Amino acid sequence: MEIFLHKKKPFLLASLFLLLVVLAVPLKILAQVEPPPLINSKLVGTVIDSLTKQPLPGVVVRIKGVTHVVSTDGDGKFTFVTGQKLPYTLILSSIGFENKEIVVSTSPTIIRLKEVNSQLNDVVVVGYGTQTRKSLTGSVSTIAADEVRAKPTATFAEQLQGKAPGLQVSTSTGVPGDGMFIRIRGTTSINASNDPLYVIDGVYVNSGSLQRITTQGQANNPLSDISPDDIESVTVLKDADATAIYGARAANGVIVITTKRGKYNTAPKVSLSAYVGVAKAPKLWDLVTGPQHAELINEFYRNSNADAIAIASANGTTPATTYRFLPFRALTDNPTASPAPRGLPQDQNTYDRLNKAFRTGLLQNYDISVSGGNDKTTYYIGGGLNKQEATLKTNDFRRGSFKVNIDQKINDYVKIGTSNILTQTYRTNARVGDGPQGGILQSALHTPTYLPEFNADGTPGKWAGFDNLDVLLNNTNMNSTSNRLISNLYGEVNMTKDLTFKTSWSVDYNQYNEFQYWNSLTNLGIANKNLGTSSVSNNTIWTNEQTLNYNHVTGKHTFGALIGNSLQGSITNQTLAQGTNFPNDSFQQIASAANTTSSASESKYNLSSFFARLNYNYGGKYYAVFSIRADGSSRFGANHQWGYFPSAGLAWRIKQENFLKDVVVISDLKLRGSIGVTGNQNGINDFASRGLWGAGANYQNNPGTVPSQLANPDLKWESTRQANIGLDLSLFKDRLTLSGDVYNKYTSNLLLNLPLASSKGFSSILTNAGEMSNKGLELNISSVNLDGAFKWSTNFNISRNINKIEKLPTPVVAAYAAERMVQGLSMYTFYVYNQLYVDPQTGNAVYEDADHNGIINSNDIVPVGNALPKFNGGLTNNLSYKGFDLLVFFNFVYGNKVYNNNNYFLEGGGTRDANRAMDIYQLDRWQKTGDITNMPRLTAYGQNYTLSPTSRNIEDGSFLRLSNVTLGYNLPKDFIKKARMNSVRIYASGSNLWLWTKYKGPDPEINVSSSATVLGYDLGTPPVPRTFQIGANITF
Amino acid sequence: MKKVTYIFAVILLFTSCKKFLEVQPQLQVDQDQAIINAGTAATAANGLFNLLAANSYYGSNFPALSYLSAGDIQWSGSQSDPNEITKHLTSATNGYVQSAWTAIYKTISQANYIIDKVPTVSDPLLTTTLKNQYLGEAYFVRALAYFDLARGWGGVQLILKPTNTASDNSDIPRSSLADTYAQVLKDLNAAETLVPATVSRNRVTLKTVQALKARFYLYQKNWALAEQFATSVINDNANYSLVAPYSAFFANNAVTTNESVFELAYTTSNTNGHSNWWLPPALGGRREWSPNDALVALLNNPAIGGNRNTLIAQTAPPGNLWYGKLYYRNPLGTDPAYVIRIAELYLIRSEARAQQNNLIGANSAQTDLNAVRSRAGLGTTTAATLSEILLALEKERQVEFPFEADRWFNLVRTDRAQTVLALPDKHLYLFPIPYNETLVDRQLAGANRNPGY
Repeated sequence: MEIFLHKKKPFLLASLFLLLVVLAVPLKILAQVEPPPLINSKLVGTVIDSLTKQPLPGVVVRIKGVTHVVSTDGDGKFTFVTGQKLPYTLILSSIGFENKEIVVSTSPTIIRLKEVNSQLNDVVVVGYGTQTRKSLTGSVSTIAADEVRAKPTATFAEQLQGKAPGLQVSTSTGVPGDGMFIRIRGTTSINASNDPLYVIDGVYVNSGSLQRITTQGQANNPLSDISPDDIESVTVLKDADATAIYGARAANGVIVITTKRGKYNTAPKVSLSAYVGVAKAPKLWDLVTGPQHAELINEFYRNSNADAIAIASANGTTPATTYRFLPFRALTDNPTASPAPRGLPQDQNTYDRLNKAFRTGLLQNYDISVSGGNDKTTYYIGGGLNKQEATLKTNDFRRGSFKVNIDQKINDYVKIGTSNILTQTYRTNARVGDGPQGGILQSALHTPTYLPEFNADGTPGKWAGFDNLDVLLNNTNMNSTSNRLISNLYGEVNMTKDLTFKTSWSVDYNQYNEFQYWNSLTNLGIANKNLGTSSVSNNTIWTNEQTLNYNHVTGKHTFGALIGNSLQGSITNQTLAQGTNFPNDSFQQIASAANTTSSASESKYNLSSFFARLNYNYGGKYYAVFSIRADGSSRFGANHQWGYFPSAGLAWRIKQENFLKDVVVISDLKLRGSIGVTGNQNGINDFASRGLWGAGANYQNNPGTVPSQLANPDLKWESTRQANIGLDLSLFKDRLTLSGDVYNKYTSNLLLNLPLASSKGFSSILTNAGEMSNKGLELNISSVNLDGAFKWSTNFNISRNINKIEKLPTPVVAAYAAERMVQGLSMYTFYVYNQLYVDPQTGNAVYEDADHNGIINSNDIVPVGNALPKFNGGLTNNLSYKGFDLLVFFNFVYGNKVYNNNNYFLEGGGTRDANRAMDIYQLDRWQKTGDITNMPRLTAYGQNYTLSPTSRNIEDGSFLRLSNVTLGYNLPKDFIKKARMNSVRIYASGSNLWLWTKYKGPDPEINVSSSATVLGYDLGTPPVPRTFQIGANITF
Repeated sequence: MKKVTYIFAVILLFTSCKKFLEVQPQLQVDQDQAIINAGTAATAANGLFNLLAANSYYGSNFPALSYLSAGDIQWSGSQSDPNEITKHLTSATNGYVQSAWTAIYKTISQANYIIDKVPTVSDPLLTTTLKNQYLGEAYFVRALAYFDLARGWGGVQLILKPTNTASDNSDIPRSSLADTYAQVLKDLNAAETLVPATVSRNRVTLKTVQALKARFYLYQKNWALAEQFATSVINDNANYSLVAPYSAFFANNAVTTNESVFELAYTTSNTNGHSNWWLPPALGGRREWSPNDALVALLNNPAIGGNRNTLIAQTAPPGNLWYGKLYYRNPLGTDPAYVIRIAELYLIRSEARAQQNNLIGANSAQTDLNAVRSRAGLGTTTAATLSEILLALEKERQVEFPFEADRWFNLVRTDRAQTVLALPDKHLYLFPIPYNETLVDRQLAGANRNPGY
């Protein structure tokens, strides 16, 4: 075995070896010791639904006390040929039905299973296994994919919005497949990642964008490579008990996704689903008309000139003449004076660019799958196509996906299987967010409305630093293709009745190709004699895991134990080539460029882990779970490479106690508690602990090197301690269920880019400094209001999270400077000049003078509001009558503030003159003594419009959204049977149908940047679209 | 047996873990491998010029602080940072001030590494000549950086040792303005003995050092030495001369003309931001700022601007917007940054001679001023008295260097800024200590800040 150590990847080989040993042993034993089968009985049975009397396929039937297991076929039939003598006890289990133990003495036999109305027996996916809901000790939310699929989004994560307490999902732009802000139980980190860990069929998937070519803000979301149609269920693991088994990556919670699989002994089922729809921006910005713009600018000039004269006379100097002539005056009025006359206000035209930039987008989705299985094999094969046009032009999204899941029993002891997602996502992109060059929305929104699209000679007019909108709409040429393979291969061995060994090999491979070309009509093209960029990025995350799972029941004691190891590696390499100076617009490949530059880079990290979990349950009454994980990461210095993450959870099903047994009203009552520690290392540089010099600091095309970061050999894991107490209560035979959780998360050793004095030559060092807390409440209420022919059920969830930066050595300014992180306050606190009021006498803005020195300057920037909501949640109503079903889903966010940076630009008080559009709120400016308004007098002097940022642009971002309404109809069975169909459902659905908010912009659910330190910052992002679609789901 | 094998396998996993978790970077090298031989010393020296030329320093940010402050440039864009500067409302949170400050200290830090490490390298390929060149360049660049800090922010913290750990160079108090300038001189003297005597306009030679010394002594009002060092560069007229017409030093993609004593070079892979800020959208820029009406009038006045009107141009109708076109090259951002031009040395010497009462006649203040005027296609100056000549020099600089880091610092140096620009208070002579620095460094906080901000 020593040779392994000298090989390139000793670790992998060692794991492989381990696998072979463990696999080989039982096989060998089986081969040697199994005697010729002794047949003592043959049992033939049928399993039916006790209520409907329909046969039940896929029911797992086992003989108590031995390992022999079979499943029912498509007709609910099963057969046992066994050495056991009748009578013996059978144990039957099937998802959605109560487990049944029955003594069978004759063959054939019919067994009836009762459907469970209670969720208590639902199987819940947890880390490295499953549990029934009643046995959970941790805080876990599950979302069935069918519940949320009606919302036509490119990314499944968006469909989770408002569906689980403690989960905050906020879309950042209205572009399909773009980045999102997702938090489970608050923000725990400043500079490490705050994204949850995503595990799809046991594969750790990358959720960080590989995008290199900027779209000026939000990056493409790699999670949109996964088709929502392939997903069976989503489980959100929240507290330490649920997440600690994932150790170092679990501090932000874990989202476990299970994809669809076939069932044993079921006839092939063909499912077709399709929808088509349209998307439209429900509201755009309200800009002033051309004449209004002109009036405002003239007023600005008049006021400024008056101020100049007043100031000069006070100082005894000659007044500045800058504002003497109004810009909007007759063309013959002082034609040579500066500024040049632009014509009278009433002669100005209004050019609507916004409605030109937006469109009604077409949405299409088609999915087909075939699934089924016999007693040894299950399969699921699916393919899908999703096409979405964004409401903002030139942003298109197209995903083709292919899925294969197979499970195969080799014999009664060994099972192998595989899960595969293969997708290609193609996008045409546009520059959307910040920055004027090439920015479609910027050009449409910020170009003053009085300025024409075209010059008199027909050439495109370019104004105010922006590209011409027409040019951009016709010439933007940016696209990206993501090729993704998420694949898992596992082998499972039932070594004894109680002991299962599993090995799992996974890969998440993503190749990401990007291209942009700016031709000679665009500003970027002009600046560079055309500009072309091509980028190829590859990311491979491989994982190998082994687990040994032990379960044993003796009397009232149920024991479970799990041990395992995990090895993971990630390699990212990127190659980028850029060309400028092209012969002409026909040449778009970089090979044609006269000047080319290129770069290639590679980065990698490894992670090695060991974990263990112990479960104990006494009589279905007392539950205890202990788990621990040890993670070693190559990102940290040798001193702190390993982190240890333990947790403990307890649950007490009070209902099982004698004193509650007879209380009929209460159908279940459970108290849960857990505590534990999880870690975080995501989002930091792969070599963050080293003192490094980097290349690329070239001069005259000679290579140059400069220091890139300071060493921090003590760098270590960020760790989050979390305590959780939960109560699950079911009343009136489970018609009303309540689930509440209280938690306290405390993150210490924050991975923080601690700002350093620039005089050291470094702006920051990544260090463990600072502490952050998140305390919160979650409540989920489900009720079955009507349960007859007319069914009505309601689900309501609400969560509150209080975030606080407990310790921070120095305030840190966020990527967008209106937000700061300061000890004692929450993340995403806005720091601005606080405008108290506009003086009705003078029309001047009065700001809070925080240091009471009579001067308003940067010392008077104070915290005003916060972008984190006080509450958020959702309300779902499901109604059905006969074949009809109706879903109405609201989600809400309350108490968050948004910095409306668009309006900061659009309400410049005339200071930006011809360089920015203005919005209608600017018309509310103070004009005469006595005016009560918050929009100060227009002038170039004083501080009315020169301070930035100010509280004028901080707005309430609370909203209530009618997120989805879906009306469906299941065609009558006998009607469709003629067409050899099993079920047909047709539906019509609408999303984002209604929005209540006080926010002035189109939508408060917006964010300019994918930077983790920025939230609630509205700048140049298109709003969430309103969609309508019709669709059908058909199974054969 | 099974258990034993399993345990053994687990042990095996543990033992090979250490290696598994050792991953080496391929894009970067460890700090202690940064300067160890001739090759790495050369790349570190290139890195030094890259930092000096960085966008936040001479690439555009630092010159912008000067020309935006000088009263001749108007804000015509949308960012609040340049707006504040043009209106002399610069706040401590101003992003331009912060970036320039950071970039200057980064440059100093790189020079400190070179000064610290290069002498210790023993590599036969690193000859004494090369060693001296790198060291001399580092001393010169550090001198220039402290000079820029001194004229922008006053006396500053003198960081002279490299930062190897986060705790290095902590809690260093601000030096006085005199001590800061003393350090500049010390570094210039060190550089003078080390740099080569060849001609290079993109790197540092003896003439580069002498030119900065001339400027240094002018700021120090040491007129004799200012004249002496200016003369030693001007006299090398085979290599340094006023190119005519004025536009010859920048138009038609000219680089490293005889006009330039020190200019920083840019390539398509290492660009600067000037043209983006100056050029109108039709030419691929954003015209964030532009020459104001007064400057346009001056440059277009044949008796004042002369052929320097080539610095500006107007967009097509109906816009008719004036823009600066000193930085215009395509691909965008490849324009050189002009750090010291020979014209400045003439004007330095003119002022130094005037102050030494050498006003008119041969080799006088007038001669030098006329040299610059004549190149611009203007007649001789009528200024003859000291005050007339000083005023004439002030006005000449206004139109000779409107888009370079010149006029503002000279108005402050001569204490004329308040009068000429109608500033409400002299605290505006210094830029604010960046707000972020005041948060993390108590030596820059509270009373250690620049007053008035």
